[in-house]
Amino acid sequence: MAGSYRQINYSLRPAKAIERKMLCEAFRRLYPFGKIETYRYVGFGSIYFSDFHLFHRALGMNDMLSIEKDAYAEECFQFNKPYKCVRLDCRPASEVLPELDWQAKTIVWLDYDVKLDEAVLSDVTSVCARACSGSVLVVSMNAHVERDPDEATRQQYTADTGLPFNLDEYRLRGFRKRVGNSVPPEIAGSELRGKGLAKISRRLIHSGIEEALSARNSLVPAEKKIVYRQVFNFIHSDGALILTVGGIFIEAGEQQKFDACSFGELNFVHFGEEPYVIEVPCLTMKEMRHLNAQLPQAAAAALTLPGVPPSDIKRYAELYRYFPTFAEAIFT
Amino acid sequence: MLTRDIPLTRAILDLVDNSVDGARRMQANGDFNGLWVRVELDRNHLKIADNCGGIPVDIARNYAFRFGRPKDAPLTPGSVGQFGVGMKRTFFKLGRHFTVYSTTSSSRFDMDIDVEQWKAMGEPEKADEWHFEFRNVEENLTNVSPEEIGTRIEINQLYDTVAENFALDNFLTRLKQEMSLAHALSMDRGLAITVNTIPLRHEPQLLFVSDKLKPAYVEKTYPRAVLDGQPGPPVKVKLFAGVAERSLHEGGWYVFCNGRLVIRADQTATTIWGQAHGMRQYHPDFAYFRGYAYFDSDNAALLPWTTTKTGVDVDSPVYKNVQQEMIEISKPVLTFLSNLAKERAAFESGDSTDGTLDQAIQSAEAKRTDALTVTPTFVAPQPSPMPPGPRMQKIQYSKPLVEVEKAKQLLKVQTFIAVGEKTFEYFMKYEGEE
Repeated sequence: MAGSYRQINYSLRPAKAIERKMLCEAFRRLYPFGKIETYRYVGFGSIYFSDFHLFHRALGMNDMLSIEKDAYAEECFQFNKPYKCVRLDCRPASEVLPELDWQAKTIVWLDYDVKLDEAVLSDVTSVCARACSGSVLVVSMNAHVERDPDEATRQQYTADTGLPFNLDEYRLRGFRKRVGNSVPPEIAGSELRGKGLAKISRRLIHSGIEEALSARNSLVPAEKKIVYRQVFNFIHSDGALILTVGGIFIEAGEQQKFDACSFGELNFVHFGEEPYVIEVPCLTMKEMRHLNAQLPQAAAAALTLPGVPPSDIKRYAELYRYFPTFAEAIFT
Repeated sequence: MLTRDIPLTRAILDLVDNSVDGARRMQANGDFNGLWVRVELDRNHLKIADNCGGIPVDIARNYAFRFGRPKDAPLTPGSVGQFGVGMKRTFFKLGRHFTVYSTTSSSRFDMDIDVEQWKAMGEPEKADEWHFEFRNVEENLTNVSPEEIGTRIEINQLYDTVAENFALDNFLTRLKQEMSLAHALSMDRGLAITVNTIPLRHEPQLLFVSDKLKPAYVEKTYPRAVLDGQPGPPVKVKLFAGVAERSLHEGGWYVFCNGRLVIRADQTATTIWGQAHGMRQYHPDFAYFRGYAYFDSDNAALLPWTTTKTGVDVDSPVYKNVQQEMIEISKPVLTFLSNLAKERAAFESGDSTDGTLDQAIQSAEAKRTDALTVTPTFVAPQPSPMPPGPRMQKIQYSKPLVEVEKAKQLLKVQTFIAVGEKTFEYFMKYEGEE
């Protein structure tokens, strides 16, 4: 079966494109820890390499590694590598991450197309065990709770468990199977509804990071202990609900450097449990140009655009600097 | 000090064990509705409060807060915290300061201990003499209001590593998991346990049951006279063996002593598995297997558990005897599961279309062990004999996926097995005639 990259052209997902640009904007602020162009970027480039394009062009990063689990299509990934500075490693992240030299300041974006599972948590732990101060970890995953399954799946559930089908229990069982022992026992299946799976997925990633760091720090003097500061907590949906969480690893004694990054000035930065929801209003080119001419503008309420609901205008005003424009073009 | 012997989660479980013992002292009939244990912990402290009857002053004085194990320690019928060292071990493991407030229907005491000061006062070489002083103690009270009755323990000035763990969400998750497993039976009887105000949920022990599939059940009673030649309460044992939802990690034997889970999903020689018992090793085919052993006695010292409550004493005569029974009632279940695996293999290879055993396991209902209609031996359908016909031989080969997919399309079939069969038949049709 072909990877999800053949089903969706990743560069055409507007919310994803906005998120990518927001991350890029935040990365720019890492300078108190080191020049951004000296950072290494590790990501899952797929065949589109959208993140590699952006971070090379906008941030000048030139030590870049793309991890690709689909070894059968290596030729295809090699061909699509956009720049000479992009290296490719066609093995699962679980094999690549432990072999990297973590002395280098690194931005790692583990952009999975699967839901949270033990393998994801284990990759996160790998990064936490070694990443040096100033490094950034971003993790994206599908957080779309299972839809009501078809009759055959319902019957299979009953055959497997000996219990009548129950959607909440079915979801919880799937979640426990994927994530194993990390699921707090009090979690009920009903808590996974809607954005619940995203919420609990973020919590488990966060808990996994905290635990890995606790082990790493156990014999380290107080000011040298590595702490994790969450900076990103996005959810968006170009179809399936996607969760992106991430943050920076710093030494406890470097809080001032972290403060100097002023991540808090970026309105999409969320340090807490509540996610920043990227909701993309559907506007025409003409409408966008009309709004652009009035932006930046402190009060979104003052913007005018005939026939478009104020909520869409407000959203556009928040996102316009990161807004992608897709156009059909013929190259001759 | 004894504190290295136990993991942190177990140390806290020891305190809950003491509360459960209180509940048992209070409710001999085992109905724990209305009783609660509230555990609260963070970077700074651990607090555990219950309304389970309080600790009687004489138990505290002569037993609970003395080191060592006095020979004349009073019995809590069916207790789980029998070893007395539990509480103190926990205090020393966690922090440098603790307080205990306890009120029963007729007495009240409290203590406030600074561990460093206390150590300086004590005489470590005479460990048996170590004991804690009450700060206040009142006995023979007549007007204690019911809301007051219970125990409150608080430990603070936690050690760094302890504080670090208490601050971790994952540590709390493990603690809650262990607690809800260890005390599932007490919670089933109505005991409400919360951790940081979150009520623990527990899962009952389930086994598959249907007309064709019935778990085995054996009950045994060992009079105390047989065990150690003394008069007194017997050890009662209930054993269940059967099948439940397939799970590699959850398959195996579960052993409870006085309602407290001491072995979970055992897949080793400690229960029934492996050569030592003339049995097969645990294996993925057996991931459906569940065995539950419940040991109960009003004299907890007769039960075959270890002091840390993390295992059984495999050398104790009562366990050896029961273990033999566990092995025997497991055998028919494991035979059924081996036959099920064979049936499925034969089905997949096309050697047979029979699915009798598979059908039996798929159509059964999961029932709680305490609500089962029981039979002394495991009941399951017999495997069908191999169908008559010529002897079959399996062929296996690999071809490029693209080509196989194309053949599948051309042959208008759904499976790779069918591709193999049809292409073979095609060859035989044209080339097979002599």
